Amino acid sequence: MIIPRDEARCASIASDGGRVTVTATRRPRAGRADVKCSVPGAPQLAAQMQQVVRLARHTEARFDSRDQVVLSLDRLPAGGERDWELAAVLADRMVRGVVTLREPVVANGWSDAWHLGRIDGRMLPGAPAGVLLGGADALAHLGALNGQPDPGAAVSSARAWFPLHSGGEADGLGWVEVSVRPLDGDGDGDGDGDDDAVSAPDLDAVRQAQVRTVLAGARHFDGRGAAGWRTTVRFGEARFSGDSYQFALVMADRIARGREFLARGRVIATGRSSAWHAGRVETVDALAAKCALIAREAAAGDRVLLPKEWEAGLPPGLRADLRARGASLACVERIGII
Amino acid sequence: MMMLGSLIEKTFGRSLRQSAFDATRLGRAAIALPAPNGLTVPAACAAVLVDRSGHSRRLAAGARIAVHDGESAWCVHPGPYACELLPFAGAPELGLRVSFAIDASDPRATHQRFDLYLASEAACSVELAAFTDQLQNTLQRELAQGILDLPPCTTLEEWHAFRSGFNQLMYTRFGITVDDCVPVDLGATRDYAATLQARHAAQQQAASEVAAPAAAVQEAALPEAFVPACEDARALRRLFLELPALMCATRMAVLPGDGARFRQQQEMLRRLDLVCLSVGTMPALALAAPGQPLAQDEQVRRARHSRRAAAALDEAWALLARLKIAGEGPLDELFEEGERVVANLENETAARRLASVPLDEEPA
Repeated sequence: MIIPRDEARCASIASDGGRVTVTATRRPRAGRADVKCSVPGAPQLAAQMQQVVRLARHTEARFDSRDQVVLSLDRLPAGGERDWELAAVLADRMVRGVVTLREPVVANGWSDAWHLGRIDGRMLPGAPAGVLLGGADALAHLGALNGQPDPGAAVSSARAWFPLHSGGEADGLGWVEVSVRPLDGDGDGDGDGDDDAVSAPDLDAVRQAQVRTVLAGARHFDGRGAAGWRTTVRFGEARFSGDSYQFALVMADRIARGREFLARGRVIATGRSSAWHAGRVETVDALAAKCALIAREAAAGDRVLLPKEWEAGLPPGLRADLRARGASLACVERIGII
Repeated sequence: MMMLGSLIEKTFGRSLRQSAFDATRLGRAAIALPAPNGLTVPAACAAVLVDRSGHSRRLAAGARIAVHDGESAWCVHPGPYACELLPFAGAPELGLRVSFAIDASDPRATHQRFDLYLASEAACSVELAAFTDQLQNTLQRELAQGILDLPPCTTLEEWHAFRSGFNQLMYTRFGITVDDCVPVDLGATRDYAATLQARHAAQQQAASEVAAPAAAVQEAALPEAFVPACEDARALRRLFLELPALMCATRMAVLPGDGARFRQQQEMLRRLDLVCLSVGTMPALALAAPGQPLAQDEQVRRARHSRRAAAALDEAWALLARLKIAGEGPLDELFEEGERVVANLENETAARRLASVPLDEEPA
């Protein structure tokens, strides 16, 4: 289910602190080039942008030759500046409905390997709020927008989303990211043995212990991966209460370890368990509020996972609504294959 | 077609001569082997004979293969075969164990799909391992596009929907019937941790070899060597042989419900017909005009377009599979998808004809 549109914008912060905006418009191809770029007074930069966008399209599964996408920069960035590259790639994807992002989008990043979907870095100093940052420490490749691991990286990281509900303005989807790398023989000699195998640097001690227990239980259920991984867990928003994040954490861990089918979009899950070692998913509170939140946030390709107990109480029309948007929903009792 | 034949012979000739016919491999490591003339078809096997224009006929076990002029013969073992497929490249420890059989002659069909596969894609023998890779690529592409769905925590209902789509896809695209398909844990044989470690080691090595980057690049490029002449010939052969069969099947797959749908289908078939014509009259890869050689990079560009046209052909087969099980279902969506696939075919074949890309057309 792809819902293309006619125009999309994506901005990028320039080195002088101002904004450069990429505007993408879609029109019938009519025998013209698939991508057309224009930058005021800099045809060379336009050619470079066309190259970037074409390379990034190599990572897409679906190709439609009927459209032409026209990309334009509203002003000329300073010489040598490349942070607009990510904005151009995202604008090109947004206008064709390949990705859905919460707008307005501000993104900074450049890459020498767009054909692999990798984002190498950014020139922007610091990390301003609300800016999508490219680079190994932030958005490392395009698939990570949906939480998927980079197929070429030596560290596998995956994200899953969960509804954060407190009844206030800040309600939204939070994410949890699990990164795993093999424990032994990584050869950098930084003394793995002393490290704790599961670390969650942003969390307080109680929550850290809880995260370790959950992962240990879920991996026990899995039968594999109980040892042998060095795991890092990060949360998008570390200050929250409740334990309904557990299901999302478990899913992110399974995806990161290559042991779960993949969704095309994000995995959005809510649920807890007192028995992860048995793979059981138990119910959590705030069904109505969380369903409303999910109905608002879900985009094409997303996979929504809820506890089995919620099935009877789901708001009428939620399933159909999600399906119409290209997302899917399942109420599960147990993790694992079917 | 003569040119195609000689090219394929040049490319695969060595392996053709090397592999003497060994009936014991059939049904195990090999699905089909080229059979010498005069061979008696072994028990449980069938012979498929394909002439130059792609028409095929079958001989049952016990018959003696007598090749007519220009025909190639294969011995095919119907199986069953077992293989493991990886539905997602990013999830290497979770696979599907699939058991399939080569479809026996279907009396309703004028053209057996597997025979068409042999004619158009099998250069020499069909090995189980290579065939499995092809099945896996097809499956992964459909999943990535969201045509088949195998989401995290797949429910039983979703699994059944996946199975029916998968079975039909495999039948329509390759002419095989899937007998059984179950999810399996591949953790014991494909260790993801080891893969990640290997990647890490490779990256470290690449970082230390910055001094000699050229050599590293060359090494990395080797497995994906792109030989324009081979790629182009293979893709065009597929288009030439499969498009007519595809059109024929499309005509039968949809019972035109009303006038509008009928016209839509006719229009699509008409456009496919033109693509067929375009493929049949495709200029030679290496010539810009009669007697005038084409630059190497333009040949590469042409071959890329051929390959992309063949990819669109794969999508067309997948779409046909969906049409077959759609019934009265989402026909609008499928026809819209068909428009896209046909447009892609038109676009790529048209680009393949050009000797050079015109510079950017208009300034605005």
